[in-house]
Amino acid sequence: MPLTLLNCDRSIPERKKHTYIKDSTEEVLPLCDIQTTPGDFTERGCTYAGCLGVVCGPIKDVIHLVHGPIGCSYWTWGGGTRQNLSDNPSFHRKYCFSTDMQEKNIIFGGEEKLYDSIIEAHEEFPEAKGVFVYATCAIGLIGDDIEAVCKQAEEEIGIKVVGFNCEGFRGCSQSLGHHIANDALFERVVGTKEPEYTTDYDMNIIGDYNIQGDLWLMEPLFERMGIRILSAFTGNSSIDDIAQAHRAKLNLMHCQRSTPYICEQIKEKYGIPYIRASLFGIEQTSNALRDVAAFFGLEEKAEEIIADEVSKVAPKIEEYREKFRGKRIFIYQGAPRAWHWVEMFREIGIETIAAATTFGHEEDYAKICERVKDGTIVIDNPNSIELEEILTELKPDIFISGLKEKYLAYKLGIPFINGHSYEKGPYAVYSGFLNFARDVEKSIFAPVWGMIRRRDAKRND
Amino acid sequence: MRSVTINPSKICQPIGAMHATLGIHAAVPLIHGSQGCAAYPMRMFNRHFREPAQIAVTALGEGASVFGGRDNLIASIKNVISRRNPELIGVITTCLSETIGDDVEGIVRETIDEIEEVEEKDVIPIVTIHTPSYVGSHITGYDNALKAFVTHLSKEFDESDEKLNIIPGMINPGDIREIKGMLDLLGVSYTILSDISDTFDAPIILPKPSFPNGGTSVAEVENCAGACGVISLCEHAGGSAAKFLKGKYGMRSDAICPIGVSKTDRFIEAISDITEKEIPYELEKERGKLIDAMVDVHQLTYGKKAAIFADPDIALGIAEFASELGMEVVVLASSTSSNAFMNAAKEISDGEILNGNDLYDLHRTVREKDADILFGHTMCKRSIPTGEDNIAFVRCGFPVYDRIGYYRYGIMGYHGGVYLSDLIANAILDRYGQHG
Repeated sequence: MPLTLLNCDRSIPERKKHTYIKDSTEEVLPLCDIQTTPGDFTERGCTYAGCLGVVCGPIKDVIHLVHGPIGCSYWTWGGGTRQNLSDNPSFHRKYCFSTDMQEKNIIFGGEEKLYDSIIEAHEEFPEAKGVFVYATCAIGLIGDDIEAVCKQAEEEIGIKVVGFNCEGFRGCSQSLGHHIANDALFERVVGTKEPEYTTDYDMNIIGDYNIQGDLWLMEPLFERMGIRILSAFTGNSSIDDIAQAHRAKLNLMHCQRSTPYICEQIKEKYGIPYIRASLFGIEQTSNALRDVAAFFGLEEKAEEIIADEVSKVAPKIEEYREKFRGKRIFIYQGAPRAWHWVEMFREIGIETIAAATTFGHEEDYAKICERVKDGTIVIDNPNSIELEEILTELKPDIFISGLKEKYLAYKLGIPFINGHSYEKGPYAVYSGFLNFARDVEKSIFAPVWGMIRRRDAKRND
Repeated sequence: MRSVTINPSKICQPIGAMHATLGIHAAVPLIHGSQGCAAYPMRMFNRHFREPAQIAVTALGEGASVFGGRDNLIASIKNVISRRNPELIGVITTCLSETIGDDVEGIVRETIDEIEEVEEKDVIPIVTIHTPSYVGSHITGYDNALKAFVTHLSKEFDESDEKLNIIPGMINPGDIREIKGMLDLLGVSYTILSDISDTFDAPIILPKPSFPNGGTSVAEVENCAGACGVISLCEHAGGSAAKFLKGKYGMRSDAICPIGVSKTDRFIEAISDITEKEIPYELEKERGKLIDAMVDVHQLTYGKKAAIFADPDIALGIAEFASELGMEVVVLASSTSSNAFMNAAKEISDGEILNGNDLYDLHRTVREKDADILFGHTMCKRSIPTGEDNIAFVRCGFPVYDRIGYYRYGIMGYHGGVYLSDLIANAILDRYGQHG
């Protein structure tokens, strides 16, 4: 049976169903997208994190007002650890807004405080184009009607006030938060503004959050092809960009976990098709450009751009491939990057020996399993004890994950690279791939790893 | 007073309780709340200390939020014990579990009884710490945690062991090492309640231990009742525990945050007084070196207008040191509002006192008061463009993660004062040059 129980999970045997060792003769998917085992040291975040932290936070010209006690707002201030950059840094990611609910508000209700907060925030920042209100755990319990408050405030201040019922306890991971954000943005924002003009080559990039400027590398590639990026969802985007997204001819879906919902909704209501893409690594990026070109009838132009870009990076990538040949990686990401990056690592000669996601759905695991070799461990929602066991037992040459796992890897003497907020990105498309490979080189070949000493067991006092 | 908070000065309670729990050897903080309540603070510890932080969460979902978190809490305690074998669990509540109204103590008691019946042996201490996020701030959470530990764990004693209890508050590993250094020079034996100096500043030596070495052992916490006295360095984060120890065991208690010359003098004298130890020449020498450092920079520091933002006790300490350096404290701001801070701040500064105001207010005040130098943490830097406003900036407090290694160095005591004095002078040099 390719499902396996790690040693550290003996007392929580239900984890066996989440832990699959790929075996092409017996294909199953690890159990996923269900509640975490309580107290298992999960690395998961909450629904609020998926909604504000991931999807809405990158929108650069609205007031992101967190309704709840102070902590929740603090954590997402400036994107938290996320580097979702924009060209409006004097406002976006600089300010953090909260209703800072106190005990008396919890007892008597926070609607009045919320209303006043929206009005005051707007008075302080009249140039903001909207107010997004996020409900946190306590709010869901006390039952504030944020919908009604937002409506009333919107009438008063005359800009969009959108509520998100993204209380942290909903769902089983960040994933539901993505969905809640998609639904509210689709319902309340998409289609509320017409673009100044449209062209036959208007496209949206859906599901890229401009981590350390990824989007700023992607957009020019399409623009050179003759395509206009009408709206990016949501990296470096204005609420106005989202509002006019319904007039594109095509949606290009990048993060395929946090945005299939809105792509489907836009397709259904406005008849705009979408295509899925991985804009990481040479081959995947070229494929994406070809797919988009085929849709718009720009094949020739695309081939020119691909040839030009590939010629600029291929020799260097070849060098890296030689240097990294035989190295083994453990990839642990939110969801799609786990499979986007199996291919990217293969292009630089690194083989995936373990892959995991925090909140992947079956679709994500199917894609991971398609891409990895037999014997690869594929694990859903790994907790920190499992991570330690896998890292200790498999001893990968490098581990790619996020900040919460970074220092665990370091303490185990395992080279690490931050795939959530990057080391020194951007990492997307061709030129970003070079940054990526450079950072991989730095992590694997830093001399310090060779200086770590093992402590003599006899001296273990 | 605005209803909306813009750029908060404080974090919520649970992170303070996690900080305190992680200073106890082989302890696991178990957050009774939703997953974000553990994941987010964990990340903040990662950023500030550049260390791992292992935190468990009961992962309350929609069902638990309606029907109560009992089942999740019981399962979590059992899972944490069976998989981690810790020496203590701190069950830390959140706004979610507090609003649901779970009887956390009752559930914990019941779980312990059940495990003891099955295993036929004593269960490790499991301490409930109430930290509703809608009351106070991170330092209140630390204060509540420490009070819960000493209340729950300290045991009646036969005779005093002449140790001194020190409750550090939310300070850095470097600060704790400075404190230990002074106590060692005084020849005083001590218990740090609780001690993150190794748990949040651990070496890389393989094999990695299951829990970081160091931290205060549960036995040390249990024995803290037999100490001759207790000093809380940050009264707002530890004062309640000190008060409990004084009230219950009659030990002497004081609250001194030893930042700067006179506060460190007072700290040393208080310890000498409680423990009846002579002050050694070594400490005089350290004091003299601090004075030497201050003499070296007085031309740079004298007359500079300082704006200071930190947790209340730290802010008061830095303000006193700034005054000792001849600076004028034009803004004195606490992360958390408190009457004690207000009263003490008025004694130190004739400037503007911000008692728990947000950093948006602080920015306005710093501009109004035309400050030359600002003290604050990374989020303070994010809020206040010191480059644009032409203000020198000194990093202090929690979190500081936009520079490397701040947590390693202490600003407390004479030796820490030298470091702080240098930081201040270099910040002034960087901003204004030699003749600024």
